[in-house]
Amino acid sequence: MNTQVIEKNSSQALEAPLIARDIHKSFGELEVLKGISLTSRQHDVTAILGSSGSGKSTFLRCLNLLEVPDAGELIVHGQQVRFKHNRLGEAVPEDEKLVERIRARLGMVFQQFNLWSHMTVLENCMVGPLRVLKQPRAEVEARARYYLNKVGLDNRVDHYPSHLSGGQQQRAAIARALTMEPDVMLFDEPTSALDPELVGEVLLVMRKLAEEGRTMIVVTHEMAFAREVSSHVMFLHQGLVEEEGAPEQLFRQQESERFRQFLSTNF
Amino acid sequence: MSFDTIIQYGHLLLEGTWLTIKLSGLALVVGALCAMPMAVARCSDRRWLSRPVRVYISFFRGTPMLAQLFLIYYGAGQYRHELQALNLWWLFRDPFYCALVTFALNTTAYQTELLRGGIQGVPRGEIEAAKAYGMSSWLRYRLIVLPHAYRIAFPALGNEVILLLKGSAIASVVTLFDLMGQTRTIFAKTFDFSIYLWAALLYLLITMLIVRVWRRLEDRLNPHLRQRTVQRSSTPAVAVAPTE
Repeated sequence: MNTQVIEKNSSQALEAPLIARDIHKSFGELEVLKGISLTSRQHDVTAILGSSGSGKSTFLRCLNLLEVPDAGELIVHGQQVRFKHNRLGEAVPEDEKLVERIRARLGMVFQQFNLWSHMTVLENCMVGPLRVLKQPRAEVEARARYYLNKVGLDNRVDHYPSHLSGGQQQRAAIARALTMEPDVMLFDEPTSALDPELVGEVLLVMRKLAEEGRTMIVVTHEMAFAREVSSHVMFLHQGLVEEEGAPEQLFRQQESERFRQFLSTNF
Repeated sequence: MSFDTIIQYGHLLLEGTWLTIKLSGLALVVGALCAMPMAVARCSDRRWLSRPVRVYISFFRGTPMLAQLFLIYYGAGQYRHELQALNLWWLFRDPFYCALVTFALNTTAYQTELLRGGIQGVPRGEIEAAKAYGMSSWLRYRLIVLPHAYRIAFPALGNEVILLLKGSAIASVVTLFDLMGQTRTIFAKTFDFSIYLWAALLYLLITMLIVRVWRRLEDRLNPHLRQRTVQRSSTPAVAVAPTE
């Protein structure tokens, strides 16, 4: 690992583990992101709101390079990710290994959970730290059990994802992300695929994480969560930041007419 | 029907059965070893990797195995000097190896295609999660994609095992005394057609055994599916109870 770079930038990295500047992304002719910036400081909980098609999920996926931005700057833990364009004109990262290291520092929680179905809940949590971070088994297992306990799944560690409820699966997915001990947790509409009565248990876990001071970036439709838990709210519209600010302020008074409309239909 | 023929020649039939098992078993193992990297290549975005595999598969799936066997068994003789120069003549001189090579090439093509289906059937989200956790493409294949793909392809692979075992009967036309070969010679000596019945019975016995073993393995390979069915049978009782 490039320790020198990390050390040199560690004070900056500690302060702001994730900085994105002017991120652009197009799919073919369609320009989905038209320049979005975000600085995630330590302990920040950023909520990203927007109607479907506003680019909020794409932006989140750009942050851990599941989508590679066409242009813009991305600095994770003090390390800048550089992109180039391949022969087909697609954006690709210059250094694939750096991307893998960066992804290991960002915990991702998906809308569809995406647990590995052939592994038990415990194995799901352990495989990343064991195989990617190459940490010792005993330590990893203790940590996995600790986090599974924390999300309330200590009696489900040996179950396979297919016989857990959606809410349990999502909590397992959160424990899986936590076991990696990431700098930033990314949540991509974590409650959108859940039955209404299961949403609460997942939000409760996320609320606890926020209270612990974890750095989180959450794409969500849960307005109450955004208002009560987040420290910063971004409202995206057609690939641009339409309005952003502290939630107390933003939810009381909106500059943007679109944001006002969005709030009135989503509350 | 008398039992004289089977009593007198039964040991030959068993010898033939052993050769059949050896021949198809070896071919299947070789095929399994080759199929994995080839299936990965077949699924590659790089055309220069996937294209040759596609051509290979379409050749071996599109032509009769008997024709392939003749091509190798009789065809190799035409290039005896070249093969001797390459020190490969021992392989193509012996009908056993000729049959083995043919069957291995053939089943590799089929197994590759089955495994390709498995690889493409792996849920996209799980691969994406593997990426998001920083796994390299090598780790992704080893920990997520291939374990999944084999589970998906497993029942179809069992079918391939049975098909090859039965298909291996054509080894008898290149002078091999496999189960079919022995049966034919015994019939030629005795003109007792019941020997074909015994042979059929033996084939049936082996395939039934394979089916059983395969079902066991499948069960063991898929605990996440097995436990779900157990749970499903128990849920109605729990779910119904409060309403009554």
